[in-house]
Amino acid sequence: MEVNGQLALTVLMGVFLIAVAAWLARIEDWRSYTPLAGGGAVGGTKEQYVSEEKPSGLIRWLTTVDHKDIGMLYGVYSLIAFAVGGLMVVAMRIELADPSMTLLSNTFYNSLLTSHGITMLFLFGTPIIAAFSNYFIPLLIGADDMAFPRINAIAFWLLPPGALLIWAGFFPIPDIIPAQTAWTMYTPLSAGVGSGNQMNAGVDLMLLGLHLTGVSATMGAINFIATIFTERNEKVTWANLDIFSWTILTQSGLILFAFPLLGSAILMLLLDRNFGTAFFSVDGGAILWQHLFWFFGHPEVYILVLPPMGIVSLVLPRFAGRRLFGFKFVVYSTLAIGVLSFGVWAHHMFATGIDPRLRASFMAVSLAIAIPSAVKTFNWITTMWNGNIRLTTPMLFCIGFVSNFIIGGVTGVFLASIPIDLILHDTYYVVGHFHYIVMGAIAFAGFAGLYYWFPIYTGRMYQTTLGKWHFWLSMIGTNLTFFVMVLLGYGGMPRRYATYLPQFATMHQLATVGALILLVGQMIFVWNFVQSWLEGPKVEDGDPWDLGEDNLTTAEWTWFERKLQTAVTDGGEEEDAELATDGGETVTDADDE
Amino acid sequence: MATKTFDKDTILDLTVNMVPLAIILFFVVAFAVVNPFGFESLASGLQYTLLIAPFVLLAVLTYLSGKAIAGSEKSGTVYPPGQATVPGVGPLHEEEEKAEAALEESADADAEETAE
Ligand code: HEM
Ligand SMILES: [Cu+2]
Repeated sequence: MEVNGQLALTVLMGVFLIAVAAWLARIEDWRSYTPLAGGGAVGGTKEQYVSEEKPSGLIRWLTTVDHKDIGMLYGVYSLIAFAVGGLMVVAMRIELADPSMTLLSNTFYNSLLTSHGITMLFLFGTPIIAAFSNYFIPLLIGADDMAFPRINAIAFWLLPPGALLIWAGFFPIPDIIPAQTAWTMYTPLSAGVGSGNQMNAGVDLMLLGLHLTGVSATMGAINFIATIFTERNEKVTWANLDIFSWTILTQSGLILFAFPLLGSAILMLLLDRNFGTAFFSVDGGAILWQHLFWFFGHPEVYILVLPPMGIVSLVLPRFAGRRLFGFKFVVYSTLAIGVLSFGVWAHHMFATGIDPRLRASFMAVSLAIAIPSAVKTFNWITTMWNGNIRLTTPMLFCIGFVSNFIIGGVTGVFLASIPIDLILHDTYYVVGHFHYIVMGAIAFAGFAGLYYWFPIYTGRMYQTTLGKWHFWLSMIGTNLTFFVMVLLGYGGMPRRYATYLPQFATMHQLATVGALILLVGQMIFVWNFVQSWLEGPKVEDGDPWDLGEDNLTTAEWTWFERKLQTAVTDGGEEEDAELATDGGETVTDADDE
Repeated sequence: MATKTFDKDTILDLTVNMVPLAIILFFVVAFAVVNPFGFESLASGLQYTLLIAPFVLLAVLTYLSGKAIAGSEKSGTVYPPGQATVPGVGPLHEEEEKAEAALEESADADAEETAE
């Protein structure tokens, strides 16, 4: 009798599902989701997304599916996150100005440490890249929009709730305290075993928030892969694809394989914490977490660095007056980094006592992956060699990128060597190493992009003197703070502590001074950015960088030029102009030589 | 077919990925020759898998991307990257010739200056 009941239920369920599927198939025009059905970049998509007027005001931003608007949303979001993460670390650095516990409690320091890392990597790093890629990839490859504009919008809108969940512990909610697990969330600490603090629901909320940002990144990645594969203008063959699109394509591939794994690991951790499973508490559970985490974690660092490398590869040659030296070397080495980054994860685990034979293999691949990075560096330097260099603000940031990336990369290669790592692991040396890359390189490339394309997305020009102040303060601050950390690491200062032995005081104070210099630089940036956006001189010239003189104009600038022209001839407001030019890619096609 | 797509230039472009492949290969051989930790089937098996898997994947991806890029070089006009749709920008080889000519010009100018 009971079996029959279950059977009936199952059948009913099945019928219901089929009915839902059939209903969906009828009311939805599925073809509208597959603009590629036409088999190419052009046609098909045109009327769907751009023919309707955008609503005005706030509603426009809440409902937009235009890739440029979504790019702006990503940009604003990530800059807010950058400010939050930056202020958190300023508080930490001030605490570290003296050896004992003064300003912040040790537990609050740990909370800030955790949130700073997660905020910078997931709420600033990944989204700022998405800001550029959303805005510019469709323009660069001659597409009307992303392949899936609505998925694009959903991917963005998952991020704000993600941030709120990640920061939830800091809000005045009763009984919720911020997580103190560090960004690596190692078990058993993060599984809530032990002292009790980590049992708090704040950790669960952070994990859920992290999960949302991962889902968002994955959706974005799928969208970029589809867009770059199928939406290119027919003139943009694989041989003609620009370097930024190549790096985004590779990055999206990495996201596709790395983030779902993080998602699964996070869910396992949540199950362990809340539903009594024992994934990470049985024998070997702690090392299992590390394997899962770093299998995601190392590709993640390249997810963060490849597109900035693409930005630098795109921008730096424009101010050196020539094309990128060895373009194809840069493309192939990008792909090589993409593959190899999945084969090095346990270089974060050399000190855990895993089998020495495995360790040796991870060391080997870690050394191999340094080659493609070095190749790029030489390409950038050679591009500048004897070039006609113009030290504009974006160029300064590009050069700063190369300089800092060299130090970050070389310190990384040392860490990849097992005996050296056993000494330096979990010291400030590691902190110095990766900050040279995440701050000195990734954030620098982000600034290069923000300044370089400022005229396109604001229609105005920033104040160049303030831009240079921003650069120099950032460059000096970065090198002071993080070089001192490298030295602190040599001295044996362990990372992730709110207090330290008095012998390290001078160095820590220097690092704090560096951080404050950085803070001043970023305050100048914020002022310059906001003030110029609102009141800067309007850009009338479609080629504000005079790229045309060296014949180095890329597709996004021609789009901008057309936009300015149509805006003038129409006499219409900006939005009309965008509509006209968006659909108007045929204009360029007409120019076949 | 394959020989046609992978001509000398393409092979030269791909050398950049042969270097990491060679490094991995070096360690495969090195770990076979120098083996201080002894042989144990699981650990040693993993040790070699961790080298061979990235090697194979990198070789495959390099081959496929080389084929896609070199193939579209053969079948369509090659423009400077990112500039295919830009009005006034010609095919890559023309642009390169132009740049070279400009370079020579400026080199000549330099030579004159020093001669003076
Ligand atoms: C040239 C290639 C690189 C090599 C060989 C390398 C090597 C290493 C090694 C061995 C460690 C572990 C140190 C330890 O904890 O004992 C490490 C840590 C780290 N690296 Fe790199 N690295 C490289 C490039 C990068 C890049 C490009 C990034 C960022 C985009 C990066 C970000 C990090 C981060 C975030 C950590 C610290 C993780 C943590 O423990 O919190 N590295 N690196
Ligand atoms: Cu790593």
